Amino acid sequence: MSVPDYMQCAEDHQTVVVVVQPMGIVPEEQFFRIYKRIASVSQVSIRDSQRVLFIRFRHHYPPENNEWGDFQTHRKVVGLISVTSCNTAKEWPQTSDRFHGQKEVFGSTLYDSRLLVFGLQGEVAEQQRTDVAFYPSYDDCPDVEKRVEDFVESIFIVLESKRLDRATDKSGDKIQMLCVPFEKKDFVGLDTDSRHYKKRCQGRMRKHVGDLCLQAGMLQDALVHYHMAVELLRSVNDFLWLGAALEGLCSASVIFHYPGGTAGKSGARKPSVSSAADAGKRHRPGAQEVLIDPGALTSSGISADTSAEIGRAKNCLSQEDIIEKYKEAISYYGKYKSAGVIELEACIKAVRVLAIQKRAMEASEFLQNAVYINLGQLSEEEKIQRYSVLSELYELIGFQRKSAFFKRVAAMQCVAPTIPEPGWKACYKLLLETLPGYSLSLDPKDFSKGTHRGWAAVQLRLLHELVYASRRMGNPGLSVRHLSFLLQTMLDFLSDQEKKEVTQSLENYTSKCPGGMEVISLPDGLKLPPVPFTKLPIVRSVSLLNLPVSLRPHKVKGLLGQGLSSASPFIYSPITMHSRGDERSKKIDFQWVQGDVCEVQLMVYNPMPFELRVENMGLLTSGVDFESLPAALSLPAESGLYPVTLVGVPRTAGNITINGYHTSVFGVSSDCLLEGLVGVKSSGCMVEVVPSLPRLQLCTSLPRSAHLSSEDLSTSVSLQLFNGETQQLTITLENIGTETLNTLELTSKTLSTKEKLFGEFLTWDLQDALSHLPLKSGQSVSIPVNISAKLDFSGQESLLNDLNDDGISVTGLPVSSPLRQVLKPRTENKPVGSDASKNEFNHVKTLEAVLTFKYSGGAGQVEGYYRELSLGVRVDVEPSVFFTRVSTLPATRMAIQVDKLDFDSMPVTDHDALRQATVRQQEEKRQQVQGGLINSTLDIHWTIISFTEASCPDNTIPNSFFLTLQC
Amino acid sequence: MAVCIAVIAKENYPLYIRSVPTQGELKFHYTVHTSLDVVEEKISGVGKALADQRELYLGLLYPTEDYKVYGYMTNSKVKFVIVVDSSNTSLRDNEIRSMFRKLHNSFTDVMCNPFYNPGDPIQSKAFDSIVSTMMVQAF
Repeated sequence: MSVPDYMQCAEDHQTVVVVVQPMGIVPEEQFFRIYKRIASVSQVSIRDSQRVLFIRFRHHYPPENNEWGDFQTHRKVVGLISVTSCNTAKEWPQTSDRFHGQKEVFGSTLYDSRLLVFGLQGEVAEQQRTDVAFYPSYDDCPDVEKRVEDFVESIFIVLESKRLDRATDKSGDKIQMLCVPFEKKDFVGLDTDSRHYKKRCQGRMRKHVGDLCLQAGMLQDALVHYHMAVELLRSVNDFLWLGAALEGLCSASVIFHYPGGTAGKSGARKPSVSSAADAGKRHRPGAQEVLIDPGALTSSGISADTSAEIGRAKNCLSQEDIIEKYKEAISYYGKYKSAGVIELEACIKAVRVLAIQKRAMEASEFLQNAVYINLGQLSEEEKIQRYSVLSELYELIGFQRKSAFFKRVAAMQCVAPTIPEPGWKACYKLLLETLPGYSLSLDPKDFSKGTHRGWAAVQLRLLHELVYASRRMGNPGLSVRHLSFLLQTMLDFLSDQEKKEVTQSLENYTSKCPGGMEVISLPDGLKLPPVPFTKLPIVRSVSLLNLPVSLRPHKVKGLLGQGLSSASPFIYSPITMHSRGDERSKKIDFQWVQGDVCEVQLMVYNPMPFELRVENMGLLTSGVDFESLPAALSLPAESGLYPVTLVGVPRTAGNITINGYHTSVFGVSSDCLLEGLVGVKSSGCMVEVVPSLPRLQLCTSLPRSAHLSSEDLSTSVSLQLFNGETQQLTITLENIGTETLNTLELTSKTLSTKEKLFGEFLTWDLQDALSHLPLKSGQSVSIPVNISAKLDFSGQESLLNDLNDDGISVTGLPVSSPLRQVLKPRTENKPVGSDASKNEFNHVKTLEAVLTFKYSGGAGQVEGYYRELSLGVRVDVEPSVFFTRVSTLPATRMAIQVDKLDFDSMPVTDHDALRQATVRQQEEKRQQVQGGLINSTLDIHWTIISFTEASCPDNTIPNSFFLTLQC
Repeated sequence: MAVCIAVIAKENYPLYIRSVPTQGELKFHYTVHTSLDVVEEKISGVGKALADQRELYLGLLYPTEDYKVYGYMTNSKVKFVIVVDSSNTSLRDNEIRSMFRKLHNSFTDVMCNPFYNPGDPIQSKAFDSIVSTMMVQAF
């Protein structure tokens, strides 16, 4: 006996085997339909008795197993049902012959047989035969079940008669020696008359009768017979059969204790009437007490009177004892190499019983033993079956990990190199089943919570095997999915070399079958969720960027109450919500504008030891139509945080939420949602998009200055003016947006300065520009702005210092004079270059102002939004006149020599001179005012000589002139 | 002595695993992983018998062809697993116990380290060297 039945369980001992076989050519589908109908008659209540006969139907049964039928009668094929097709009456005799031939195979053990003929009609089909049934077709056979029931009843009659026959063997008759196939040669030449031999025969026969009783539904009788057999066989050390008797005892007890069955097929077996009646007697202490009629033992024959009320339920083993006896039986089986299959099956049966008893530890010992039972050369298929069954049994007792281990071994066996046609599909299927045992799910979401904790080395191996198996199965999409999963979840456990290898093979696979975000459904219903590469690259923070200042939309105040935006009634509350979710959904307090490019900055880093190319990186949004402009980037190996700006254009107005980003790495495109990311800092992901507004570009007639005094300015210009000078600045505004510009306002603001400013610094005329409105896209308008600088340069401290310094003669500010530097180190501590000397003094004053253009148009204007464009104007004003030397004259007159007007530094053209003349006039006027002031306080009279009548013939300005003050 | 020593967290993931022949590393991972089934079974059994609760030593978990697997569980449900060679018959139960005790002491030291985050893999050098003393003798 070489083929173990791994599905066997203890209650199979009370069944009889009926083989159902096709004969000739029977379509497989039809055969199994009939087989199913036949197999549905798995238990039959026998008329006029309380007993039930259980049948195991098999469509395949190895004849060598049948040879062990004497050893354990539930292995004996007692019935044969042949199914055949027969279309014409001519074929009938031939069919009939073949049926007889088929009966021969199991001939020695068969109690009865039936032939089901399909397709035959007419004369032949009319004949009434008990062993043959004729049906016109496979679809038209209403009484198959009835036929099978009749057949089972006839088997029962034979069984019952055999039982009675064996049980009533006269004591004087020679009892037949029952033996197993491998024993036969051992008995050659044995003394058949010895007492020892006789006892052996008796014991074996008792055991056999016990088997028959069990099959015939007489549980109590069976128990008694088994007990007697155990006693007899123990005394003659017939270990193999002792084992069988013990196992029979266990089986009968199991059937008594667990009428529901141990196979785990719930509902497959209806509890028999007698068992149900006995159910109340379970767990009876002392049930193992063997109470056997001593008379039955002393007589050399076997008494028929076992049905006497001996022991009854007391003969039944207790739950503890069942296991003990199983252990004993298995240890006896273990003595015989040829009984390996019996031992293995006994182990499996015991495990099933223990599983019901929830005694996993002991069950695992039985299984451990089963692993080591050597059945000789097993075919690959048998190996697979064996490992699968071991796995199932381990699962049954709750050893998930062991179960997974054996399932994996079975999977590997499916594709063993010795197999000519490796079953990759089966391997893959089995591997998938091992996942729970290794606490691995294929959903990356389960791994997003913190660091991965598990048996990384083992899980990694399993994933690699899944990838390989799915590839060999010819499903590259599946291998891409598994490989992506491996890379995403096991990244922390891969060495640099492994990272390289995995990504390389991933790239190889994706070149044939790019990975995507769709859920892959397997034929058996398992769904493989998509694996977004949230770790390639790793995103650390996401921040939405405001528009550049000049493009920010502003709300016209007063249209809506903007002040009270907070929902809380408190102006200030120390209690702030720290929940993350709130933070994410928080609205950001700036706005984006429809149709304008918006930016989101991600801080990313590359965890790989090589350069990571991320392609097609863009934003995932919801709320408004958003045109994402994907970017491609290349991150250096193990880069630090690296800013990446993703851009896009909102196409409609409303609230936009940034949900995540999509990438394409190694040919796998993934959608990474922010909510699933760990450790991402975000200041909010929702922002309002306001309707579109026009865009203005500003050009000035003066060159732009690089210097921006404040970040709010979009452009700035700077120029140098002499005090009193006026310059015109032409500002050209061009509408570069798509919307029409409807309104334009211009305001100016002089930045706070301590300087006293006379007159208007900036003046303009907007009328001309406004007449061009509305300004269509692409059109431009110019605005002239006059800049005039009028400042007070008098009374400068440094000058006064100079004046005070020198009691009598002030040698003014010939700055280039090295002497002065020596003399006056305390006020001049900065190094003074001789050329740049002018600027080193505080004589240059700076005026700054901001011109602000407020403009609006398009849909945004309707909503009350406008934009601001600001132009910074910075003017360095230099004094027109310097006092370079003051000499105090001893006379009652004081002459002040004014030296070195700064004009000498630049060539004066006609035009400039003219303008400067006016400047000078203004200056003069101012000085006269000042003079008046001084006059009134000091009572000094002074005049500026020949200033107004500076009749300079060659239009040059005198380098110096004298000023006389009279006190 | 031992060919593989593993520390397993309460949630049944490895905190530390080291084995002697480096080629067979994965095999030991499998061995220790499957031994957890038995550990779990034993723990659930211990709950019933109150007297056994003080006993941290779980005894022989299961023998394989080449190795014997012993288990030990601290009160905080951290498990230690020691795999020894089956051929090494000189090793008595008491010696295994003392190995576990040593391991437990060293593990306690690791836990006392304020910079160790419970649940993280153990990287302590001191622990490593204690483990080494239990393993190197095989050579």
